This record gives sequence, C-alpha cells and structure tokens, in this order.
Amino acid sequence: MEVTLKIFRYNPETDKKPSYKSYKLDANEMDRVLDLLEKVKGYQDGTLSFRRSCAHGICGSDAMRINGMNRLACKTLIRDVGTRVTVEPILGLPVLKDLIVDMEPFFDNFRSVKPWFITADPEPEKERYQSPEARARFDDTTKCILCACCTTSCPSFWGSEKYVGPAAIVAAHRFIFDDRDQAAAERLQILNEATGVHRCHTIFNCTMACPREIQITKAIGEVKMAISTGILD
Amino acid sequence: MLAKRRTLSLAKRGFDFEIFMWLFVRLSALAMYLFALIGLVGALIMGARTQVNFADLMRWTFMPDSNHVLMNTTLNNIANLDVWVTLFWKIMGSLFVTFAAAHGLHGLLSVVEDYLKNSAVRRFLRYFVLVLTVVGIAIAIYVVWTK
Ligand code: FES
Repeated sequence: MEVTLKIFRYNPETDKKPSYKSYKLDANEMDRVLDLLEKVKGYQDGTLSFRRSCAHGICGSDAMRINGMNRLACKTLIRDVGTRVTVEPILGLPVLKDLIVDMEPFFDNFRSVKPWFITADPEPEKERYQSPEARARFDDTTKCILCACCTTSCPSFWGSEKYVGPAAIVAAHRFIFDDRDQAAAERLQILNEATGVHRCHTIFNCTMACPREIQITKAIGEVKMAISTGILD
Repeated sequence: MLAKRRTLSLAKRGFDFEIFMWLFVRLSALAMYLFALIGLVGALIMGARTQVNFADLMRWTFMPDSNHVLMNTTLNNIANLDVWVTLFWKIMGSLFVTFAAAHGLHGLLSVVEDYLKNSAVRRFLRYFVLVLTVVGIAIAIYVVWTK
C-alpha cells in the first residue's frame, strides 16, 4: 500500500520558518512509523533529522506527534494510524531541527525533584530489603522511560515550561512512596510550590499519551493527597 | 510482617499558601452547596413558596442578601420583612460571598500561574488578584451589613 508521510521540517540554519514536506512510500500495514522515517532518510531525503536509538520502545528517544497524538514512532504501526500520516515534533520544547527538540528544559524539571535514592541509613552489607507489597506500591511509576510524551502533551506545560510536568512528578512518586527512601518531605515541598502539582488540572492528556501505560494522573493525585495528608502508604 | 505506617507531619512537609488554597477551593465548593441548600430551605420556611417569585428565590438561594427578595415589591408579597434581615442571614451572606469570591478569583490566579511565562508580570498579577479578592469581599460584606 502507498503511505503519505507529511513531515514537519525546520532547519534553523537555512529556513526562516518551519514547513511541511510530503513523502510517498510503499509500505506494509505492519510497518512502524519509525521504519518509514528511516526509509525516507535512507532513500529519499538524507537531510531529515530525528532521534531514535533502541527502536523497541524502551529508550524513549523517538517521541513525536503522530497524527496529533504524542507517541513513540517505534511503537506505532501504520495499521493503527492510516495511510496519511502527519509527523511533527513534540510540543512545548524548542525545536532544534526537524523532529528533534531541545530536551534540556524537560530534564531540568526532572532533576529538580531529586529523582534518586536518598537515605541517611548506613550502607547495608548486602542490599536494602523491601517487602513485595512495599515494592508494589510504586511499581507503576518505575516504568517511565523519560520519553517526554506526557509532559509535552500537557497544556499546563505548554503554558509554562516552569511547571515541573507529569514526568517529573512520576519520577518523584517513584521515590516518595518507596519505604526505603527518606527524602519524601523534601520532594513534597518542591512539588507543593506554585510550579508543582498545583498546575495539574486533571486533564488526563498525560495518561493518554504514555506509551508505557502508566496511570500518570492517578500518580499525580496520590502526590497531591500525600501533600495534603502527609500519609505515604 | 505488618508494615509501619509512614506519615509526615505538617511541619515536615510544609503547609503554605498553595496547598491551603488547593484544599480551600475543594472544600469551599462543597460548603457552597450547603450554603445554597440552607438559603433555599430557609427561604421556604420563611414563606417564599407563596410570597417570593422563583427568580428572586434563586437569587436569594445563591446569595442570601435581603435586597434580593425585598426590592421587587411588584412581584413579591412578603408578609414579615424582619425575618429576612436577621443576624443569621447577614453572617450566611458574608460567608457565602467570601467563599464564592475567594474560590472564583483563585481560579483566575490559576490561569495567571498556568499561562504567564514572564515572572515579573506573573508576580504583579498574583498580587493584583489577591488585592482584588480582598477589596471585592470587603465591598460585598459592607453591602450585606449596611441595610
Ligand atoms: S527508539 Fe527507543 S523508544 Fe523508540
């Protein structure tokens, strides 16, 4: 079957403003959008730029807007998006070239919630034990691959990149509800600032966008609850 | 093994304007349903079913200020004026308008915080909305009590 890919193109060195270019290709319905992008770059237009690495939905490099939805190109089949496909960079972050955006503001927000294990307890001989139940408490939020699909689908983040965004809250959630970690208070204070969870108005775009199917809005709700009640169970 | 409950005290997790208003907006919405119900039931007890027209009854329900039923003398036929202007209704009216204005104007504050990138403008508008809220409530309460 013939598929038309309409791709957002922008090269800051030569273009005054972005434009769209269409490419026609022969494709199979089980091809992924990433396969077609590779075909365009390999056979039709070597100047096309996009990020990709694993091609198996685990590195989070190839988040892009496909027919208006934030998705990973490597996990999106032509069968599911039809034969006319529009591919654009994710919104809310500066475009560097074509489908590549500057991820630094996203990672700044991510780092701001201290997404690492913090404890004052002495290092154990072997490992820090945790019951299966305690581990299950934050299992969902361990699945994040930092692709930014959620954060860049959020109108509050489009409004201001100072909002930490869903991905950062998911990362904070993963440690706040980990019973071995001791910095929950610090993280809750960061997320209780005007740029924190209060910018979330339960729009649910993030939950719909997540390629890992994390219940993001629910996780944000749990963090809001923890800020209000102090209960971390 | 019974896991011990993990809780953080208020002092540790911090309790500031943001979380206070977040809770206030949710609880004030519930409180306003209650106020409206009290206004409606109170009005019916005071004889609104036969003495007040429906539009004015609704005005009173959502803001129990006596002007809302007493002014429209052609449509309303109130037997006992005094029961509509008691201390209880003045307090109810003051509470209602305070909750409503703070709830609504905090929504405006959210829009400011959501969509303005420039931090100087944001800070200015933040204080502007706060002042607007306080002044608005003060005027409304003045109206409620001086009649
Ligand atoms: S290329 Fe790694 S997630 Fe798609």
